[in-house]
Amino acid sequence: MWAKCATRFRGDWKLMEKGDTFHHRFDVTENVYCGFILLFEDRNPLHCDESFAMQKGFKHVVVHGNILNGFLSHFIGECLPLKNVIIHSQEIRYHAPVYLNEVLDFHAVVSNTSESVNAVEFKYYFENQAKAKVARGKIQIGII
Amino acid sequence: METTEILQNVNKIFIEVLDNDSILLKRETTAEDVEEWDSLTHIQLIVAIEKHFKIRFTSAEIQSWKNVGEMCDAIQGRLETHGKG
Repeated sequence: MWAKCATRFRGDWKLMEKGDTFHHRFDVTENVYCGFILLFEDRNPLHCDESFAMQKGFKHVVVHGNILNGFLSHFIGECLPLKNVIIHSQEIRYHAPVYLNEVLDFHAVVSNTSESVNAVEFKYYFENQAKAKVARGKIQIGII
Repeated sequence: METTEILQNVNKIFIEVLDNDSILLKRETTAEDVEEWDSLTHIQLIVAIEKHFKIRFTSAEIQSWKNVGEMCDAIQGRLETHGKG
């Protein structure tokens, strides 16, 4: 056997072409922040102790970086023109802290499509209200 | 580009994508021979190869390959068609 998979072309990838852009706004609400702590129990003082965070040079407690990965999940699962998608891989690089009650503008562009394996790659970044890019990365999804 | 050079390039891509420095591809190599080569990494490999060589495959030809050698032949064919060979 050549490879342990068989891919099927359905043509859905044509709904997203290289250069297509997507935008979404995410609110870093207390519900999101508390929900993340409740689910994953990461109560590191950087995230939960205001005085500790300020001692370390931050304005407030820093929300968990992986909340942004949750926003990415929302983008892939809910904001694309098709629902038959699965995440193959994703990477994220953090550039600036995100604080509670900030509003993040999410921008993504289709950076590559591969019809042969029904894969679509996005480059994305999150921007805060001060127009600082707080995180950026790449996600590759498959159309199933 | 000669087939051996293509194989060397493909080998580097496999090492990087599969994160395994010990991979040494031969023309006869199949997914059965490489532990990390599964259905998901197969997609990553094809995407990386298409990007590296600036070519595009069809799903039909990918499924027709029986081993790495046939994949390298297909790459060479694409490069020649596009005047990069």
